[in-house]
Amino acid sequence: MSAAKNSRKKDRAGLGVAPAGSSSRNYGLPLPGLSGEEFGGSLIVIEGMDGSGRSTQISLLTEWLESEGFAVETMGLRRSGLVAKDIDALLAENTITRMTLTLMYATDFYDQLEHRIIPALRSDFVVLADRYFYTLIARAAVRGIERDYLHGLYEMALRPDLTFWLNVRPEAAFEREFRKSHAISYWESGRDLSLSDDLYKSFIMYQAKIKKEFEALAERQGFVSMDGEASVSAVNAELRKRIAAHLGIQRTHYRPSAALAQLWR
Amino acid sequence: MATRTVPATDPASIEPAEAPGEDSQLLEPARAYPGALIVVEGIDGSGKSTQLYLLKRWLEIGGYRLHFTEWNSSPLVKSATRRGKQRRLLTPTTFSLLHAADFADRCERQILPLLHSGYLVLADRYIYTAFARDVARNCSPRWLRNLYRFAPIPDITFYFRAPLDVAVNRIMSGRPKLKHYEAGMDLNLSLDRAESFRIFQGRILAQYDEMIESDHFVVMDGTLPVNKLQKQMRQYVKSRIDLSRFAPKKAARRAR
Repeated sequence: MSAAKNSRKKDRAGLGVAPAGSSSRNYGLPLPGLSGEEFGGSLIVIEGMDGSGRSTQISLLTEWLESEGFAVETMGLRRSGLVAKDIDALLAENTITRMTLTLMYATDFYDQLEHRIIPALRSDFVVLADRYFYTLIARAAVRGIERDYLHGLYEMALRPDLTFWLNVRPEAAFEREFRKSHAISYWESGRDLSLSDDLYKSFIMYQAKIKKEFEALAERQGFVSMDGEASVSAVNAELRKRIAAHLGIQRTHYRPSAALAQLWR
Repeated sequence: MATRTVPATDPASIEPAEAPGEDSQLLEPARAYPGALIVVEGIDGSGKSTQLYLLKRWLEIGGYRLHFTEWNSSPLVKSATRRGKQRRLLTPTTFSLLHAADFADRCERQILPLLHSGYLVLADRYIYTAFARDVARNCSPRWLRNLYRFAPIPDITFYFRAPLDVAVNRIMSGRPKLKHYEAGMDLNLSLDRAESFRIFQGRILAQYDEMIESDHFVVMDGTLPVNKLQKQMRQYVKSRIDLSRFAPKKAARRAR
């Protein structure tokens, strides 16, 4: 496959198109039908591997922002109306090849971008993204697809206002995931890469590869890297501080409601 | 490289378009695989599918190792595409991506393995269909070229060119019910479906013409009689590809 090799050295998770910190809201190309349009709202991304506490933080941030009077929309991977179910089915089958999976995820991403994120931003919402295309790039890159191909694929994506990376050791993520679901899935442990027959080893090796991709992305894209192994309340306080500064919220005090109290540890 | 245009008037004069010399021999492409890929392209009603079918029959009857593949035929992505079209959920971007996913599946599971195992692969439409149609839908050419970078470059791309009116009339007489996306209704070109289809096909035709030189299309005159065109096509294939590579193995047959 020609899109697989070559640029490993020349483009370490680089963007190649628009430099990070550019004021443009996309990565080099506008979506068809969207050129020149300005809209408000804020796009805030939380990245991190499974077990890094992303979804917990998104639930808490949603409640906090709503209590501060901000309208919130969320997005995540495999949540599009168009192809989410098809991807589920493809993953269950295991017959899917890496390019097809990469492009199905890209379809899922752009469907949400065009039908969910952009309409929400037009209405001045705060969009909280439970992962973004960065995860998709990292997953495809560790499977040997060229990084500049992948960045080209997402050239029309919106540039987030803030991206947080909840950084955890793969060992800690494994423990958290295992405690949560008492099992580790085929894809989360990268079994398709045949790294090890030992599920634990495979998980650690796979997540370490993903983490390496993220380290390069974090540098190029200006992610705010955070200690995902700190307590939920400590991580949440730091997130609130940064988001408050961006949105101009004066008071960052927050205690979760009874409904979310069990997340607060 | 010069354009490989097949003269419409005199089939006997067909010759490889490169300057005489080292390139004018039979094409033995410097590829990473022993197979060969022949592609037909053109707007709806240009006659390309009929011609590829006849080429396939010719090769099948001769016992050659071949595989025939069509655009948009992978069962894997079919349900998503159908749902998207029925509910009109598709934007130019997701329309393009779904077709790319469908193509990637065919490419990784059929086309590439068959090329590696030494098959002659015949494709009814290929990546140029996406380039023409999606640019006509205002997708960025740069983005599209990157999207399909994983696709092997064809050994021969026949471009069946018919005037817009001829092609559109062929389609309209045989298939009067045009579908929403097929007619380009998502582009708000016209409220009239037939008129929208005509404008959309005109845009696609213009995009195909743009690619003649850059993508080394072999231009075929789609208004010629079917058998005459087929004769040209077979001659061109013979002149460019050493078909003996795909012939039935005589030694094996004798051993029986």
